[in-house]
Amino acid sequence: MIGASRDPSKWGYKVFHNIVSNGYRGRVYPVNPSAAEIDGFRCYPCVGDIPGEVDLGIVIVPASTVLKVVEECGAKKVGALCVITAGFSEVGPEGAALEQELKERAAHYGMRMLGPNTMGFVNNSISLNASIVPKMPPKGWISFISQSGALGLSLVDWAIGSSLGMNCVVSTGNKADVSEADLLEYFEGDENTWTIAMYIEGLKDGRRFMEAAKKVRKPKLAIKAGVSQAGARAAASHTGSLAGSDMVYDAAFRQCGVIRVEGVEEMFDAAMALSTQPRAKGNRVAILSNGGGAAIMASDACERRGMKVPELKKHTKAGIARLLPAFASVKNPIDTVAKSDYDLYREALKMLVEDKDIDCVMVIYAHAGFTSAAEPAKAVIDTIKEKYPKPVVACWMGGREVSAVASMFRKNKVPYYPVPERAAEALWSLIKYDEYRKEARR
Amino acid sequence: MMSELEAKALLAKYGIPVNEGYGASSAEEAAEKARHIGFPVAVKALSSKITHKSDLGLVELNICNPGEVLDAGARILKKARGIDPDARLIVEAMADPGTEVIVGAKRDPQFGPTVLFGLGGIFVEVFKDVSLRVAPVDRPMALDMMGEIKGYPILKGVRGRKGVDLDALADVIVNTSRLMMDEEGILELDMNPVLAYEKGAIAVDARALLRD
Repeated sequence: MIGASRDPSKWGYKVFHNIVSNGYRGRVYPVNPSAAEIDGFRCYPCVGDIPGEVDLGIVIVPASTVLKVVEECGAKKVGALCVITAGFSEVGPEGAALEQELKERAAHYGMRMLGPNTMGFVNNSISLNASIVPKMPPKGWISFISQSGALGLSLVDWAIGSSLGMNCVVSTGNKADVSEADLLEYFEGDENTWTIAMYIEGLKDGRRFMEAAKKVRKPKLAIKAGVSQAGARAAASHTGSLAGSDMVYDAAFRQCGVIRVEGVEEMFDAAMALSTQPRAKGNRVAILSNGGGAAIMASDACERRGMKVPELKKHTKAGIARLLPAFASVKNPIDTVAKSDYDLYREALKMLVEDKDIDCVMVIYAHAGFTSAAEPAKAVIDTIKEKYPKPVVACWMGGREVSAVASMFRKNKVPYYPVPERAAEALWSLIKYDEYRKEARR
Repeated sequence: MMSELEAKALLAKYGIPVNEGYGASSAEEAAEKARHIGFPVAVKALSSKITHKSDLGLVELNICNPGEVLDAGARILKKARGIDPDARLIVEAMADPGTEVIVGAKRDPQFGPTVLFGLGGIFVEVFKDVSLRVAPVDRPMALDMMGEIKGYPILKGVRGRKGVDLDALADVIVNTSRLMMDEEGILELDMNPVLAYEKGAIAVDARALLRD
């Protein structure tokens, strides 16, 4: 870590501290000519003085000395660079020229480079936190590529709060070398990543991004920020004025199998379903609910998004009717008329996932106070464990008692949502993923 | 910008049907060409500097005899030369009325060539009912593009109204994609309208914007 500092108020200290305090087991060398040790680690005056081989140089020195550091790293045969230092193309033409030189020098030595102007990265599978986020998110299967450093970091914090597991979080910074396309290629080969989430403001090479994304078979989600027409110039042709950049991104994402989402919540809701559930082979949804109102809202939410809530097979209907009071009618959505015990949910859910006319299931529980929120939740968990090749999402509505269930769901890889609309949106992303995948392959 | 004549020659080179048309430097020459094509004809200004011809009154459609060509030609030429001294005339065969669609293309700074399809006329002006793909666009993709727009039932035929030749339109889209992939000098391309018929489709107006 070049530019490690003893001053706790400086990033040079914070990043170093984050690396060494989160259980990273590799060797770490702080480099700083004016300190003997930092946090108990022996400090080296320059990169060349480090005794062993170096895989990665994390650079956090002033912009004016970055080139010198890169030369030192090149001479030392450092494998790759993560340049946290800011003050490059983001500050104007002079910075852009410096960035170009930085890029060329790193390439000359064969070093791949993240940044400059990145807030670093977190790699949970090797417990490496080379970023300015103080805490690691819990381990999970979602990897997140963010063009905005601050957003990436706040999401890590959010993930911690919601106990959503993440594998890697990468802030791309100015993308002088490593871009989203490179990271997509990397995550395709990374067995700890099941779903890739992205925050994109602009791509430098859209075609290369599409090529890389097309090759990735894992679910990919993206927020593309900056949708306004501000950039559209007064065009001479209709096509020019209609085909604004936002519409092109829509088309491009779809063509390479990236599901576009509007915001952060939607992205992680979808990621939760995509990283835990099998793919949906169609858009026919069965809804099981202990309350009529929630069931109707869920049907509306599904149909509005283009899903179907069709009739169940006769056999399924008869089976479920046996479980319910005589006055309950068995239609889809299924209203259990306030019954929500383990056996009922378990049996009904089993029949629904076995129904050949159904592609995915939404299980709803609305907490009323006199029932247990955990019982039907256990039924969902046990059913999912049996590995039916159909996605199931859970919608548990309520307050405190439901939050205990939420962590149980998370632990058991059940995608859980507090309202039917979010559950429907997540199901929709599973369906779209399958559609887009077919389109991108064609 | 390319003149309409040049743009249409380029379209024809890529297998996109266009209506027969000739350039003329005078109203007399225009009348001569009109006789050769056969009536009715359209007479428009031909210039690489004028974009919105119909807005400026530089288009006369459905002309049925040589005398009218002389009148319209003289009027259009005078007006057009006020804007572009090099302006000429173009005389074209009037195409039969059909369903108007727009096929366009644009070179996007990030993604390169993109192809756009939509219903023409007021549908594109008011509803912006269009679909888009990053090129290259193949046949299944072109059919998807048409299926995606809200006005698709109009193309397919609704309530006894006959549908249009979707295969012919798919050809126009695919060939536009091919053109954009090959001709790197073209920044934007507009075929507005393309007239779609029960059988076949034809680009009756074309505009191509060149790289500076």
